[in-house]
Amino acid sequence: MSSNKIEELKKRRQKEIKPKKSQLPYFFFVGFISFIIAYYFLNTNIRYSIIWTIGIMIGITMQRSRFCFAASFRDPIMVGTTSLFRAVIIGLIISTIGFSIFQYIQIGNIANYSLADVPGQIHPVGFHTILGAILFGIGMVIAGGCASGTLIRIGEGYAMQVVVLIGFIIGTVLSSNHFEFWDKLFISSSKTIYIPKHIGFFPALVIQLTALSTLYLLANWYDKQNNIMADL
Amino acid sequence: MNLKSKINNKPWPYWVGGIILAILNIILLFTTGSAWRISTSFLYAGVGILHKLGINVEDWYYFNVYNNGLDSGQTYFNNNIMLISVAIIIGALISVLFFSEFKFKNIKNKKQLFFGLAGGILMGYGTRLSFGCNIGAYFSAIPSFSLHGWVFGAFMFVGAWIGSKILFKYIL
Repeated sequence: MSSNKIEELKKRRQKEIKPKKSQLPYFFFVGFISFIIAYYFLNTNIRYSIIWTIGIMIGITMQRSRFCFAASFRDPIMVGTTSLFRAVIIGLIISTIGFSIFQYIQIGNIANYSLADVPGQIHPVGFHTILGAILFGIGMVIAGGCASGTLIRIGEGYAMQVVVLIGFIIGTVLSSNHFEFWDKLFISSSKTIYIPKHIGFFPALVIQLTALSTLYLLANWYDKQNNIMADL
Repeated sequence: MNLKSKINNKPWPYWVGGIILAILNIILLFTTGSAWRISTSFLYAGVGILHKLGINVEDWYYFNVYNNGLDSGQTYFNNNIMLISVAIIIGALISVLFFSEFKFKNIKNKKQLFFGLAGGILMGYGTRLSFGCNIGAYFSAIPSFSLHGWVFGAFMFVGAWIGSKILFKYIL
């Protein structure tokens, strides 16, 4: 293709893009409604008001930064880039510090705390975790997005992700219906392992931060070795 | 329009997203006592519909073990997890509308439809086994110092690898 032709195509493409209608009125409308909802909850249920506001901010952040947890796992395998994976690791490092402070406030002074008192996501680990993770990993790659990415794309107007969401709902309802089978097979005999309970609070924190930092450096190295975009 | 030109239209770098998401998750934990989760909201949506259709989902084994039931005063459609998932969709919508980038995008073909649905079902099925998706069982679980978060992360990689093979073979 001659460069003239390319220029012509570029101009034509720009013409197609330019007459984009401003959606700012809709922005103000949706923004106003969201604000009203936050305000309404402020007077009825403060917790809901906080959750609502944080959810909106998560949506904006993920949309603006094109954040996608599925891609953070897929890209290193398919194209060799780890920038998204490293961003997730940075997030994990920061939340590890934040979560550890909150957990320490809650249980730091209790000698014999029960696992139910520890705030956060603490659940049994075993073969069910492995099976669930593999199923989830396959699913998110072939569907082109995980749970959070699906929500973001629905907000952006993708009909496809509504289908993914319907599939997700069907799958999760089926699985909860079959839960007794899986529980008796694996879960009920599995242990819940809260790492600080076994090695102490500060060693757990130090080891975890070291592990995450090492993972970050490894990912950085891997990117330099495998990134097929780097040479282009 | 001045407002628009003041704020850069370009996407934020990934690491900025990672930092903000971590901070929001920490604020969520400090203010509500529980970390960010998503997939359970999809379960609630599903069983909420079944419940409306007259099926006694509360009797299911799942809802009677491991604190899987709802908190008192909450329903399948009115709870913390459902609220945050709806808010995330609205947040993304607000974000695209601000830059006038909202566009309804239809499904491309039957193949995409099939893999989208199949992928969704696989993901959904996996989440009950692993107690969450890559938010609840990974992004919120590793910072909670629960070993299952690390195991989930490692084996999600295995799954993603298998998924990539399928993608190369049948979709691309």
